[in-house]
Amino acid sequence: MTATTTTLPAARPGTWARFGRNQLAVAGGLILAAVALLAIAAPLLPLPDPNATDLPNRLAPVFSAGHLLGADHLGRDMLSRIVWGTRVSLAVGLIAAVTAAVIGSTIGIVAGFCGRWVDGVLMRAIDMLMAFPYLLLALAIVAALGPGLLNALFAISIVNIPFFARAVRGVTVGLKRRDYVAAARLSGQGNLTILTGEILPNLLPVIVITFSTTLGWMILETAGLSFLGLGAQPPQADLGSMLGEGRSLLLVAPHIALIPGLVILLVVIGINLVGDGIRDLVDPRLASGGLVRPGPATAVACDAIRQQAGNPAAPDAILSVRNLRTHFLLNEERYKAVDDVSFDLRPGECLGIVGESGSGKSVTALSLLGLVPTPPGVIVGGSIRYRGQELLGLPLPKLQELRGNRIAFIFQDPLGTLNPLMTVGEQIVETITRHQGVTHAEALTHAIGLMDRVRIPNARDRASAYPHELSGGQRQRIGIAMALANDPDIIIADEPTTALDVTIQAEVLKLLQDLRRERDTALLFITHDFGVVSELCDRVMVMYAGRIVETGTTAEVLRDPRHPYTRRLMACVPVLGQPERALDAIPGLPPAVNHLPPGCHFADRCDRVIDRCRIGSIPLEDLGPGRSSRCIRAFEP
Amino acid sequence: MTWKNGWRAACGTLLMLMALGASPASAQVPDDVLVVGQIAEPKSLDPHAVTATNDFRILMNLYDGLVRVRSGTLEIEPALAETWEVSSDGKTYTFKLRQGVKFHDGAPFDAEAVKFNFDRMLDGKHPQHDTGPFPLAFFFSAIERTEAADPRTVVFHLKEPYAPLLSNLAYPTGLIVSPEAVRKGGKDYGRKPVGTGAYRFAEWQSNTKVVVERNSDYWDGAPKLQAVIFRPLTDANTRLTELLAGGLDLMVEVPPDAVDLLGKAGGFKFHEQAGPHLWFLILNTREGPFKDVRVRQAVNYAIDKEALVKGVLQGTATVADSIVPAAFEWAHDDTLQPYPHDPDRARALLREAGAEGAELKFLVAEGGSGMLAPVPMATAIQADLAKVGFKVTIQTYEWNTYLGLVNQGLVGKGDMAEMAWMTNDPDTLPFLTLRTDALPERGGFNSGYYSNPEVDKLLLQARQSTDRDARAELYRQVQRIVREDAPWAFVANWKQNAVTTERVQGFELQPSFLLNLAHVSKAAQ
Amino acid sequence: MLSYALRRLAMIVPVLLGISVIVFLIMAMIPGDPALAILGSFATPENTAQLRQDLGLDRSLIEQYAVWLGNLLQGDFGRSYSLNRPVLDEVTERLGPTLLLAGASLILCTILGLAAGVVSAVRQYGWQDKALTLAVLVGLSTPSFWLGLILVLIFSVGLRWFPVSGMYAIYGGGGLTDLLHHLALPAFTLAVVATGVIARLTRSTMLEVLRQDFVRTARAKGVTERTVILRHALRNALVNIVPIIGIQTGFVLGGAVYIETVFQWPGIGRMLVTAISTRDILLVQGGVLVVAACYVLINLAADLIQHMLDPRIGT
Repeated sequence: MTATTTTLPAARPGTWARFGRNQLAVAGGLILAAVALLAIAAPLLPLPDPNATDLPNRLAPVFSAGHLLGADHLGRDMLSRIVWGTRVSLAVGLIAAVTAAVIGSTIGIVAGFCGRWVDGVLMRAIDMLMAFPYLLLALAIVAALGPGLLNALFAISIVNIPFFARAVRGVTVGLKRRDYVAAARLSGQGNLTILTGEILPNLLPVIVITFSTTLGWMILETAGLSFLGLGAQPPQADLGSMLGEGRSLLLVAPHIALIPGLVILLVVIGINLVGDGIRDLVDPRLASGGLVRPGPATAVACDAIRQQAGNPAAPDAILSVRNLRTHFLLNEERYKAVDDVSFDLRPGECLGIVGESGSGKSVTALSLLGLVPTPPGVIVGGSIRYRGQELLGLPLPKLQELRGNRIAFIFQDPLGTLNPLMTVGEQIVETITRHQGVTHAEALTHAIGLMDRVRIPNARDRASAYPHELSGGQRQRIGIAMALANDPDIIIADEPTTALDVTIQAEVLKLLQDLRRERDTALLFITHDFGVVSELCDRVMVMYAGRIVETGTTAEVLRDPRHPYTRRLMACVPVLGQPERALDAIPGLPPAVNHLPPGCHFADRCDRVIDRCRIGSIPLEDLGPGRSSRCIRAFEP
Repeated sequence: MTWKNGWRAACGTLLMLMALGASPASAQVPDDVLVVGQIAEPKSLDPHAVTATNDFRILMNLYDGLVRVRSGTLEIEPALAETWEVSSDGKTYTFKLRQGVKFHDGAPFDAEAVKFNFDRMLDGKHPQHDTGPFPLAFFFSAIERTEAADPRTVVFHLKEPYAPLLSNLAYPTGLIVSPEAVRKGGKDYGRKPVGTGAYRFAEWQSNTKVVVERNSDYWDGAPKLQAVIFRPLTDANTRLTELLAGGLDLMVEVPPDAVDLLGKAGGFKFHEQAGPHLWFLILNTREGPFKDVRVRQAVNYAIDKEALVKGVLQGTATVADSIVPAAFEWAHDDTLQPYPHDPDRARALLREAGAEGAELKFLVAEGGSGMLAPVPMATAIQADLAKVGFKVTIQTYEWNTYLGLVNQGLVGKGDMAEMAWMTNDPDTLPFLTLRTDALPERGGFNSGYYSNPEVDKLLLQARQSTDRDARAELYRQVQRIVREDAPWAFVANWKQNAVTTERVQGFELQPSFLLNLAHVSKAAQ
Repeated sequence: MLSYALRRLAMIVPVLLGISVIVFLIMAMIPGDPALAILGSFATPENTAQLRQDLGLDRSLIEQYAVWLGNLLQGDFGRSYSLNRPVLDEVTERLGPTLLLAGASLILCTILGLAAGVVSAVRQYGWQDKALTLAVLVGLSTPSFWLGLILVLIFSVGLRWFPVSGMYAIYGGGGLTDLLHHLALPAFTLAVVATGVIARLTRSTMLEVLRQDFVRTARAKGVTERTVILRHALRNALVNIVPIIGIQTGFVLGGAVYIETVFQWPGIGRMLVTAISTRDILLVQGGVLVVAACYVLINLAADLIQHMLDPRIGT
């Protein structure tokens, strides 16, 4: 274990502490520790000789005098045999696993490191071993070597070698291509040094994972061979041979077979629990918070709904957001991703939300239809009204009626956001049939029409293409077509052009502009690029660290930004299509939204900061109709 | 959550399927069909090609021999031969055959058919000799030639007098097959057997069942049962479970511990019959501690045979005294006593022989014909021997591997080995396993290398004597000498057992260990 | 797709050839003489030598292998000396029941495993997830031979719901109902471990897939959660699960040895155990080859299904 913790610099404070928090793993550890302790202490315990026969007492039932767990068909004490048998089973399983791990990993490392024909030969041999039904190979090996515990151990080890070899080879091949290995090679280190110094430590996690997942299996298999009479030889008992011996007496004295079976079960459960715990710790993917499934809709805290009163919606707005607060609850920390955001969207209007990544603009958009993943996201307060209807706390089916129908989304990164296994036509059709109740054929015709509309050439053919067969621009057009499918009132576009190159970006923007004009759809456009905003949006809203820092019509804001952050954003975005370079130009990083400083959140990066900026909370100052800024120096020139 | 309904539907379907499966759909076995639990799949239904008692149980009902063992005894009585004569020099046997008997395929049974049977086994040049191998052909190796004198007379000309011939003819290896069917079936005859017996072969589904049907033309009276189904159930526990669950009418080789259980369950009849069986340990007299007769005797004293037969075997066997089982009443020396259980005496003998604390390697089979409970027996013996200071290590083998190993002789392999024989004549066991001429290197089964010229001489005399009383006396002498020399540890004589449901009538176990179902019937439910 | 399938099919031949060599070598290492095994207690040196010659055992190992391979190419698997019948007859007779058992188990473990995994993932950390995770863990840790014994004890002896052993009722059996009746317990027992493996994999894969962006897209389209889970998430998860189901075939075929023993199922696994112990080389060869071929073919099928599911994998 020490090896694994040292090789994982990412193992943040207390690998053991995290293991300790995994209650199941701890339970498994306790079971295993208890069993192992009993097994190790077997010679010291006041147990009768496990092999002493006592025929008058044969088949004594459980709890009989002198035989707590009864006696077997030769009158031998079951408790004593169980303890000694567990000792044997554990030892055999452990040794077999270690043997398989050492040999298998060696093969894997050699194959992966040498590559070429060595790899080919070794891996074909491994494939051949694996093409054998597992148990039959073990049987054949035991048959060849003769029955016996040691031979069963060999057989189990050999049969398990492929698992280690394959896993280790895969990782080795990956590691070999890494920079630091190349660097070591350049610095003139020999192969052996590289293997032991650079590669082996990085292989340990995968070896440990494979070990912990196969150990239980190996104990089961050893028991299986003994059960078939090919393992432990009498009078020695391992759990499997006890089960095998007890089997013929199953009807007469069930406890003789049941107890060893239960012990095997217990031991293997213990091993698997601990193995899972170790895997969770060592697997870097799982270690970073674990895999959490997002629910169908963002959770809404109960008291959020109560706060809906007041804040009347603008009468002409199609969508009215008031005091929206969406927080992430992670590891007992509260991240205020969206805090107290209010805005209105009118029919046919395009509102841009601008900010750096992490400013809360996407979360704001996703909150509108409950698409923020829960866990960890929770909407803790505010109100979202669509045509006067409160969306927060709306039952899921009603929410689903609106999604993609009246309010549609266009997402960033069109490759990841389209289902890779469905044709794009089918994905558009799905939206249509869901909300329009038309036949599949009608929907398909409609879908092809939409694809035409977003100017995908050859729409009829392309409809049966899969996302990976299309170019990035075409995929984004599919995303747009999908959003248009049901003639929505509102389209929420979340950085729809970020992943595209400049010319295509321009085309897509033009397309959106045209469509909006044509259909009078309201557009909520999220971006970090003021260049894009200037082309498309009527009004703009700048967000920083989860809060709105400035609002106004695009023209006014561009002409006269009233927040230093806006100014900085604009100043460094002269070039369309190179947003990343531009954003890097703002020195410093946005504050962590779980530890927001008092006062202005931008203070640390602001070139106009004064002492007063760091005191109290800074309100959003009204600067006239539809114009506001969260800066105490907003009125200064 | 609407998708939940999908899973509900799936689970529902699954449950329905299970319920469908759980409904007792199969037809009940009718009252005139008997289901027998066998301990293994038969290897072949060619009586000349097999050696296992398990296979014999089916064969005895498909075929007849020239003679047979009278029910309830080990005496010989006529079967396909009505009478026979033995010449005074004991070298010519003349059989008069029963007339009007037909094979199941309609071919007539006659002297030519008999001649075909023995020539096929014994004559390497016989056109059907390649349908073998015939492992027990040596039972008839004394026969020089077989002559079909006329359609109903068969004459066996022997190379030398051979007293056990009649018992061997009554053994399943002497059963008569249809020449026509052998010619037709060739190597596959063993799966399409044709005989003259009470039942004709109907069907063999590998590892599922062998079905035989009533032969309404049977010369000894047609059986009452319409059919018998033999089910191979290799696992004793499964066999027992099937019996309890009603899947069997008759089960042989009942595990000793199950007897109580079946008694409690009710509705079963328990059958028991002592037979010519001996369970013993071969001791390696050529090398190691057992070269010394005192050590061999010490083993005999150290083993608590009484406890073994009562404890491990649950009274399904009796303590053995020497080489001839008591079931051969006429040849057994009733004055002999088994070695008593006397650990002190054993220790004293060991001290005398300077063999205290000797280490022994013990070869043990995992199962096998007549081996009873080989592993528990071995384990108990190991514990007994440990009490007088032996250090015994056990090595177990699968039965066929085990036979291959032990039959080659114990030198270099172990100090002692379990073995069991079921025989049909007192001659068989000692002749094949204790003579100097039967040493492994000379092609015999004397795996412990016992050699005593006196015993050799007596055995040869006995097999050539045509007078049964004289033979009996010779065998008694052999028993006494062998008991004293202790080339083996004599442990147990098995009492064969079987369980039937109470509905089964007319069933009787035979001392010959063979299973005769010709007169069995089943009461209506 | 077709060319890929053919290419993969062609690759099977060397694998099977390699397997046959391994089996031959292993069998050659097994102590004991088949001739002795046939003759049983009555073997003598003369008849043993004769028999060895008849069986061709006196020839060199390479010769024996060459003869076997030559015959195999003509469709002749040789003759089993322990059963005294053609290997092919025995193997084909035994293969059906095993494939039936293994197939039923695979179907069962796929259905149960996917269902448990999906429910577990969708209800992550809910009581359903906890109960299923526990059940799966116990299933993974249960010795299947032991479970089989217990199920027989409860359902066959105790409740008498299911038959104790065999594949059809011994008298008047046959038909689908009878078969299902006999199949239920062994197929379930055999499926338990594989169900656990598949359920775990399904759960973790589903959790991963559900975090992906296209799931959010599907939700944004307003489709029902049922469609999101089954049509979008599960289908994508299957791409990763199907090959593992293929690999489970190996474990199921191996586990069948125990289950066939416990339930007296007339399958090939039990035949092989006996054949190995009687050193019936030709029978072992034929049996292992056929089983391995099935295994490889099923994995090929799994690969092809994966190809069909995932258009991204080039053919």
